[in-house]
Amino acid sequence: MTEYAAKKFLQMLVTVLGIVTLVFFTLRLIPGDAASAMAGDTLSGEALERLREQLGLDAPLPLQYFGYLGDLLRGDLGETITTRIPIAELLFRALPITLSIALATIVLAVLISIPLGTLAAFMVHKGRRWLDNALTGAAMVIDLMPPFWTALVLLLVFSLGLGWFPASGQLNWNDPSSIMLRLALPVIVLSLSQVATLARITRTAVLDVLNEDYVRTARSLGWSELRVLFRHALKNAALPIATVVGLSFGNLLGGTVIVEFIFTIPGVGNLLITGINSRDYQLVQTLIVVYALVFVLINFTTDLVYRALDPRVQF
Amino acid sequence: MTGTIARLLAAGMTAIAALTMVVATTPAALAQGKTMTVRFYDDPAGFDPANIFRIENENIAFNIFSGLTTYDGVTGEIVPDLATSWETANNKTWTFKLREGVQFQKGYGEMTAADVIYSFNRIKDPETGSPYEAELAGIVSMAAPDPYTVVIELDAPNGNFLHTVANYHQGQIVSQKAIEDAADQVRWQPVGTGPYYLDSIDVSSQIVLKRHEDYYKGPAPIETLVFNIIKDEATATIALRNGEVDLVMRSSQEENLATLEAEGFTMNSVMNYAVALMVLNPEHEALADRRVRQAIAHAVDFEAISQAIAPSLQQAHYSMLMPWMDVYTDEIAIYRYDPEKAKTLLAEAGYPDGFTFRNLSTSAQGVTEVQQFQIDYLSQVGITMEMELVDTPTFNQRRNSGDFDSATRLLPAVNPDMILFSFLHPDNLVPNGLNGARYDNPKVTELLEAARAEADEATAFELYKQVQQMVAEDLPYVPTYANNVFWPSKPEVTGVHINYLAQVDFWAVDIAE
Repeated sequence: MTEYAAKKFLQMLVTVLGIVTLVFFTLRLIPGDAASAMAGDTLSGEALERLREQLGLDAPLPLQYFGYLGDLLRGDLGETITTRIPIAELLFRALPITLSIALATIVLAVLISIPLGTLAAFMVHKGRRWLDNALTGAAMVIDLMPPFWTALVLLLVFSLGLGWFPASGQLNWNDPSSIMLRLALPVIVLSLSQVATLARITRTAVLDVLNEDYVRTARSLGWSELRVLFRHALKNAALPIATVVGLSFGNLLGGTVIVEFIFTIPGVGNLLITGINSRDYQLVQTLIVVYALVFVLINFTTDLVYRALDPRVQF
Repeated sequence: MTGTIARLLAAGMTAIAALTMVVATTPAALAQGKTMTVRFYDDPAGFDPANIFRIENENIAFNIFSGLTTYDGVTGEIVPDLATSWETANNKTWTFKLREGVQFQKGYGEMTAADVIYSFNRIKDPETGSPYEAELAGIVSMAAPDPYTVVIELDAPNGNFLHTVANYHQGQIVSQKAIEDAADQVRWQPVGTGPYYLDSIDVSSQIVLKRHEDYYKGPAPIETLVFNIIKDEATATIALRNGEVDLVMRSSQEENLATLEAEGFTMNSVMNYAVALMVLNPEHEALADRRVRQAIAHAVDFEAISQAIAPSLQQAHYSMLMPWMDVYTDEIAIYRYDPEKAKTLLAEAGYPDGFTFRNLSTSAQGVTEVQQFQIDYLSQVGITMEMELVDTPTFNQRRNSGDFDSATRLLPAVNPDMILFSFLHPDNLVPNGLNGARYDNPKVTELLEAARAEADEATAFELYKQVQQMVAEDLPYVPTYANNVFWPSKPEVTGVHINYLAQVDFWAVDIAE
């Protein structure tokens, strides 16, 4: 186990270094830089050159690259190019918001989709398909609704129409209820598509194990259907479900961009878009490194969870 | 294992319960004094006058700082600000009398002539790296015979110098002590003499301005201005309708404007704020012929297009200058919609079957409805306009370097001389300047230089008029639309006058309680 963890950790380092390098150079291949993005309609020529020098964009690339690597190793995430704000400070504010949204979304999605999927599988097993049909139909419709559209519809109905949730406003950590009100709609929007996916995966996985011998054995022991379903069938179907939950969580950390934009949530996705639009290399590459780390960590954790779920899994 | 699942379930239940059972709480009552919430539409990029960009940031700086002069919010005219009066005999030596007793914010003391000289020298100092250095390059010397008088000597007569020292970019007066205290954080710690000071900022969500109690015109009616960053237009509209914001800085979608107007919101606006131009590159063989450029102008019915798509936000426009500018003339060639004339011009130029050119634009914007119409109109006279879509920074880069057949430019400026010089003078050819049409007409250059140096207003007007007439004939740039800016607000908000730089002086703004 320790050996496995060490090996994984090394792999993780190589992956992250590869990503850092790739991101560093590809970002600079894109035409335009922070200076021209900043200046927009107002500047050109010499004034633009002066701005470029001031932002340190005229230094040779290898110098910039090794300087950046050195800073990273020291744990210094640097400052944004255009606004001179420490990136660590920006992340410190944005990451908790995005993480809260992602966590709440996953929890909500799991709580709805797993019982639903399990129940659907059970009904199919019993030869009653109506719940399964309804579930598949609903999942398909939900999957086809783009999040930005769902977001706007929810805003119109629950924010403007019913006045339950605000559409904008400061996220104040000292006031948890206001945070929850602000994050409720984004979490619901994001959960919807997660529910669709997770419920289908659960249904399929549970249906697979319901025909297994040990399930029949459990029944023959006289245990209640519910106990058989949730204690035996679901537990054995948990592996694929855990994989999908892990992946979904990773996707949520990167995929909340549009939802953050519409609900005016100052999360990591928002930061990333700002960085890309303003060609703030420093900000974008640092965020991508953070994303990469989070993904690698999630994969690592998923591996460990496998073992907890299925003792037969060997490292 | 069961325990783990149970714990997870319990945690989940708690989260869900918390999410669904939340009760709306009233925000903590703010200290006495009025508060107004304003929608801000992008991430702030800092408020250092030496390095400030984009209208929304400039609008904050406009309220933090003052200039020697400023723009009247209603008429757009140059009016006194920190200077109470000025005189010049020859447009070369300018003497400004300063207002006495003007206080900097945050206890930085009285503003005097030394601060004015420091502020301008700071922009001129290459160490500052200000992109606005060139604006003040003409200053040869500055002197302060007494604390309330500044004498500025220019290298050549400049009849537009009052624009240069207005409350905008290089013209904004800073405190030396405050700049030194802020070190490399000037953009986030601005100190000026304006009606509001920066109280706090969270760059990803909120900017808070507080009233400057010692402002020389007296304290503003509203104590606290909260700017909430709301990027999405639809969300901003909902926030206003919900009462979450009192005023929307820049609402730029026709359908939202219609909704808000119908619901009785006040549609604060400024008409003819800026003109959009098609910049035509004469390195494209066909576009080098002025008859072809005239044909393009005749081929498209810009009036019909704007009426169909965004009648509130824009109207067809035929000049590089705006009607409210003092040197504007309407005695120029106007190219109204006339496809037959366009075909004739094309035939004369040797393109009876038309030609193809590529229009550079941003993928963020896509092919706009306006452009779709434009493509269609042009195709009816045989001209094929292909769209080349690139991302915004690439677009800026290529447009600045002149790498396009045609591109669009919006001209937000109050100083007509600056517009004409930037776009028509050969010193400003791309990639060094904004003259993307590579326009170089010696006669126009001569007229421009003479107009700038001319001390007599009537004579200067005649010279500028000739420039406008010649340019309308040559048509290096095809004017398309004049844009309007809207700041919708609740009916109880008063005094929102958007000036021609699309800025609002919040000192005049009030909200009924």
